[in-house]
Amino acid sequence: MRRSTGWLLCAPALAALAIAFVWPMLVLLRMSLNVTDESGVLIPAWSLATYKRLIGDSYNWGMSWDSLVLSATAATAAVLLSYPMALFLFRTHSRWRGLLAVVAVAPLLVSGTARVIGWLVILGDHGLINAVLSFFGLPAVTLINNWAGVRIGLTESVMPYATLALLAGFGRLDPRLEEAASTLGSLPIRTFWRVTLPLTAGAIGAAWLLAFVLSISAFITPHLMGGGRVFVLATEIYDAATQTLDWPAAAALSVYTLMLLFVLGGAKVAISRRSAA
Amino acid sequence: MNRSLLRAAAALALVVPLAAQAADPARLLTYSGVFEDNYTDVVVKPFQATGGNLQFVSGDSSATMLGQLRTQKTDPQLDVVIMDTTTAALACAEGLVEPLTPAMLPVLGQIDPQARAAGGTCGPGVTFDHLVIVYDAKAVTPAPTSLMAMWDPKWKGRIGMDAPPNILGLGLTAVLAHAATGDWKKADPAFEELRKLAPSVQTFQPQPDPYALILNGTLTWGLGWNARGQLYHDRSQGRLGVMLPSEGTIFQINTINLVKGAPHRDEALKFIAYALSAPAQKAFTERMFYAPTNTTAQIDPAAAERTANAADNKAKVIPIDWTEMLKLRDNWNQRWRREVITAGAR
Repeated sequence: MRRSTGWLLCAPALAALAIAFVWPMLVLLRMSLNVTDESGVLIPAWSLATYKRLIGDSYNWGMSWDSLVLSATAATAAVLLSYPMALFLFRTHSRWRGLLAVVAVAPLLVSGTARVIGWLVILGDHGLINAVLSFFGLPAVTLINNWAGVRIGLTESVMPYATLALLAGFGRLDPRLEEAASTLGSLPIRTFWRVTLPLTAGAIGAAWLLAFVLSISAFITPHLMGGGRVFVLATEIYDAATQTLDWPAAAALSVYTLMLLFVLGGAKVAISRRSAA
Repeated sequence: MNRSLLRAAAALALVVPLAAQAADPARLLTYSGVFEDNYTDVVVKPFQATGGNLQFVSGDSSATMLGQLRTQKTDPQLDVVIMDTTTAALACAEGLVEPLTPAMLPVLGQIDPQARAAGGTCGPGVTFDHLVIVYDAKAVTPAPTSLMAMWDPKWKGRIGMDAPPNILGLGLTAVLAHAATGDWKKADPAFEELRKLAPSVQTFQPQPDPYALILNGTLTWGLGWNARGQLYHDRSQGRLGVMLPSEGTIFQINTINLVKGAPHRDEALKFIAYALSAPAQKAFTERMFYAPTNTTAQIDPAAAERTANAADNKAKVIPIDWTEMLKLRDNWNQRWRREVITAGAR
């Protein structure tokens, strides 16, 4: 009786999930089995030809690798930069704590496109950074329309999410353990390495995974800041869907990206269980 | 009393939806932005003034319009769509738009043969446009006449180049290939030239478009389409220069199509006939410099000189078979990425 009530209570959420996630995924999967002829005409079919074509092209392997490296770099940088900020916010007893937390995640209140345009102004060939460098007689640096610009933009765009994930995961960090370590004569740096960091490892892992997932599926930043030089899975899916009109290829690449994320998510869960055991 | 009241209610229930359907306008899907503004002013509103019942629906690119047609295949919500000929060919092949015949549209007899051919059995060309080089007229003096002006090393970091699969990038490749070999499909020499140009390119994907980036000083050179180039030339009091290169150009043709299963088919056909008529074609050409496809349209000579139909310009158009181009597209796309864009790393 209690079990059936539980299912009944879950039913609306499960129905919403089925409509909003499972059904579109099935449509995507079905589309990936269609084929596009050489003139671009979409032909309904049940074929793995698109997958074979994509897997057989070495360019796609290189692009996948680039996507993984870019996302891992952005996620790592975002976690490294967010960690001290989140730790400070977690520990501070300042009456401004709430306001500081809002400031840390404030970028989420601004549209992603507007933020990228802001970066274009700051990092542009004649932008703020190069103006400062020029003022001091230093050579200009190229920070947009290349991989460097995308790394910077992507890191900034996922930092608020990493901060929130870290703050949520810091619940396991009991300040009394750090105090005990200090009382026993441990230097702050040793306390951090031996107590704080291990206790927050779970939060770091969760924040990294979230930042990675958001980075690998990010489209606006690579599209606007890459200057047509940065090819990653998300831009490739966009091009296939809206430029070459190869919808089966766009769908197959989307399914492939989703599989990658499932594998990574599964690995994270396995690691978490192992460390908890 | 009750029975007559019921009868009246039943009659009302039947009439109200029919009346609502009659008042429901036909829907035209095409490009938003300056195209929408100007097309609405000089074509849609005059059509409405004649009693036509049409609503403009803003589209993005031809590709997204095709996406809308594909998703509405079983339940069309649109009636007319104006899109690029290459995309329209797919819509035609997939049965998303209807074949049009002179019996349905007598005005087809006045349409340029190339515009008729562009649409195949489906909707004919409604505008002609062509690839141009746009540049900052304040920085580039005297006015250039050849593509090769961009290859001058002094423009390093000042060039925006829409790479394939964008049609502009494909078009530039074809023009360079034609200039070198006389055959637009033999692209090896074109890629050699593009590799030399690559280090000067600031972006292979100018956002939001090359016209804006030139006018705000970010770029000096870019690829563009004549009609928009001419419009921004006027709006910027000549700051944006427009060059039809001596090496040649390619046509871009927009076709007007009747959506298959259109809910307002008669009104849609009425609008297509109006849009292809000489007065509508004349008005839009004189407003936005798309060349007319109706051969009887009498265009003001000053405007005609700035379109693809000017005799000098027409002679420079390289005939591209877009079916062939679509077959080459993937290969050229990959060559741009592997040979050109890598040579232009920043």
